Amino acid sequence: MRLPLRHLAPALAILAGTMAACAELATEPPADGEVFDAPFAELSAGELRVFLTGDAEFSRRFAPATGLGPIFNNASCFSCHSADGRGRVENSLVRLGTPDNDFLPHLGGPQIQDRAIAGAIAEMVPDGVPLSRRLPPPVFGVGLIEAIPDASILANADPDDANGDGISGRPNWVSVRDYVPGGVPGAARTALGRFGRKAQTATLLEQVVEAYHQDMGITSVFRPAENVNVRAPFSDDQAIDPEIPVATVQAVVHYVRALAPPAPGADTPTRRTGAALFASVGCAACHTPAFTTGPSSIAALAGRRVEAYSDFLLHDMGDALADQRPDGQASGREWRTPPLWGLRLMRRFLDGDAFLMHDGRARTVEAAILLHGGEGERARAAFAALDPASRRTLLDFVESR
Amino acid sequence: MMRHLLIAIAALLVAGSARAQQADTTDRPFVRGGVYDKPFQHRLAGRAVFGGYAEVHWRHERADGLLVDGGFEAKRFNLFANARVSDFVRFAAELEFEEGGREVSLEFAAMDLRLHPALSLRGGIILSPLGRFNLAHDSPLTEFTDRPLVSTEIIGVALSEPAIGAFGRVRTGGASRLTWELYATNGFSDGVVTASEAGTRIPAGRGNFKDNNGSPALVGRVAWSPRLGTEFGLSAHRGQWNTHASEGVAFDARRSLTIAVLDVEAEWRGVLLQGEAATAAIAVPDGLHGIYATRQAGGYVEVVREFARGLVRTMPQSSFAAKARFDAIDLNRHVRGDAVVRFTAGLTFRPTRDSAIKFDLVRGRDRDQFNNPTERAAVLVSLTTYF
Ligand code: HEC
Ligand code: HEC
Repeated sequence: MRLPLRHLAPALAILAGTMAACAELATEPPADGEVFDAPFAELSAGELRVFLTGDAEFSRRFAPATGLGPIFNNASCFSCHSADGRGRVENSLVRLGTPDNDFLPHLGGPQIQDRAIAGAIAEMVPDGVPLSRRLPPPVFGVGLIEAIPDASILANADPDDANGDGISGRPNWVSVRDYVPGGVPGAARTALGRFGRKAQTATLLEQVVEAYHQDMGITSVFRPAENVNVRAPFSDDQAIDPEIPVATVQAVVHYVRALAPPAPGADTPTRRTGAALFASVGCAACHTPAFTTGPSSIAALAGRRVEAYSDFLLHDMGDALADQRPDGQASGREWRTPPLWGLRLMRRFLDGDAFLMHDGRARTVEAAILLHGGEGERARAAFAALDPASRRTLLDFVESR
Repeated sequence: MMRHLLIAIAALLVAGSARAQQADTTDRPFVRGGVYDKPFQHRLAGRAVFGGYAEVHWRHERADGLLVDGGFEAKRFNLFANARVSDFVRFAAELEFEEGGREVSLEFAAMDLRLHPALSLRGGIILSPLGRFNLAHDSPLTEFTDRPLVSTEIIGVALSEPAIGAFGRVRTGGASRLTWELYATNGFSDGVVTASEAGTRIPAGRGNFKDNNGSPALVGRVAWSPRLGTEFGLSAHRGQWNTHASEGVAFDARRSLTIAVLDVEAEWRGVLLQGEAATAAIAVPDGLHGIYATRQAGGYVEVVREFARGLVRTMPQSSFAAKARFDAIDLNRHVRGDAVVRFTAGLTFRPTRDSAIKFDLVRGRDRDQFNNPTERAAVLVSLTTYF
């Protein structure tokens, strides 16, 4: 066989290209602990299987033909919670209510659905009522938050500021919806609220069911009737209710429950100094460094250390942050201390940006700290009074969580 | 359906290799590789000729280090038939079986009435002249296993529509010529926005066999070719996609869809270059703004160099081709993400021109609506042949 050079050259070029491509063709998985959407390592095979189902459902974008709407805020869980982390200001939603705890259902409350499928009319923000804009928080780690015993959280509560540190910390006791198992039919139930910007939701089942119903217009057996714009003619979407089976809701509840928080950054001497400053300046009075979980429906989550940097209690954060919209026992000035885990990777999953505080108004961690008022005022002032080097050390610690 | 298939297959077997003479007597095909330019069509006793192609894939696709798609796919099995009914009338059809027969569609079934080289009428189910690739995309004709992204995600190849219109060719001096096609069709359907869970997806509005709004869409293409193997085409679609009224009552605004496509084919020193660029504007209901794309765009460019013709001694007509393609699509021009880029390189071996064994290496990056990247890679092998 004759092999002229003009034939050989392209063949060799391709061979070389192929060899070079091979390494590239494997593609790199992200390192462990560097993502927001990884399950706990110790899940059983059965738990992982349901996790995968929930994963697909979490990113499933609904279409008008598959049940989206009639009114809604966004088309999938993932469209608001970027890569299972926090969202952007564009993906936030607006809650409605008066200072005396009326959610104004006749004006479209408790939540404005600002989008609608063809044939339906999106809700308009009414004039002259308090609005509360909420940035989507991260969804990882919520299984751990759920598994912290009530008593551990309540141990930090100091509603009357008995210790005189200027920080009260109140639990939000909220009523539990009838569809949550375990109640006595007809009897009102209250439980410790843990989820949402004002800890206004006690269970992950409610968080997920209401997200489907309110945020996406997806009905389930728990919420079988469509959420509609009460100020517009009745309209429906194209899908038969309930639009998702119980199994889907359960899989998504399991999915968020089983999402592990990312690992904190490397433990350096500077960061140890930062941790000490975090405590001495008074941050840790609300951003409680750690809890230990009690029992959990997922064995791997029981008895685990939770380094969330939150007390999961409500704090009056001053006028500037107040939304004047109470929620359950949370006043119009109170917010749940948000966990600080995942701040290290926040920008990676927000296209380089940062959005902090309940409405995403702070664009850096430092700006977020400087917005602390009310019960957080002392810590803010102490932080502001630090010399620049110590401030950087403290920031480095917070941004390494 | 099944019976027709069996008859068609039996017919092919009986036909043997009596090769039909091309019905078209003009110097070169209207669209290279398009309808009436298929090799290996066999004439039966009467005036009909038959042919087809088949394609099988093996895929191994990874995303961020995980296997996401793998295995074998009986991708397509297509049958062509055409008949010269009289000196003026021709009829051609293409029946496509996809995914092992789970999807069957009549991709083409149209009659042509030839009045003059510059004017023929065509009616039936046509391949819309929206980019050259939609007109000529038989797997044995193309060099890559996967179709260009702009074709599958934005134009919606194979885009076939019920239509009536006309086409023709005009000599423009020397070897050059101008071809044109213009048709009225139903256009796309509500599916553009309602059907796909991915958001605005034009291909999801294909298959509008029963008009949904009473206003026809127009699709047309003009192409100028200075010589065989070089062509520049410009095509466009414009029409209303949504249902806006029922029983005379208008309940929604009329919403339009416009797609414009530029296509190029050129040959230079044995290197074949092909490319297409498309842009689409979709009028989306107000309530969906922000999360449903109103502008999309994309394109691809590929280069192919044949080499080692006749190198395999036992197959004197065999050849190899080295190939590379770059694909980019932006599924929502108004957000930074929601886009895909892909680079494909590989090798094709053709025992003869009508059969191909393709080997493709693919590397690309998808970005979700937050601009979060997913690294993608794939190894594809496919076998395809005309018959
Ligand atoms: C429109 C955007 C949007 C969509 C869609 C959405 N969420 Fe949320 N999510 C939010 C916002 C905003 C909050 C905070 C709500 C509040 O404080 O009032 C939240 C809170 C949560 C929380 C509580 C986190 C915490 O630490 O308090 C979980 C869990 C959650 N969402 C899961 C989901 C799931 C599961 C879906 C899909 C079924 C979903 N979300 C869909 C915006 C969204
Ligand atoms: C009185 C309790 C309290 C103290 C003390 C406190 N914080 Fe906070 N912190 C909060 C609350 C409540 C929020 C949420 C406010 C909001 O959403 O508007 C918050 C928000 C934050 C955020 C933004 C988190 C996010 O995901 O948006 C950061 C960062 C932060 N605190 C860091 C600190 C640091 C550092 C200190 C010490 C200098 C500190 N905090 C002291 C209660 C406190």
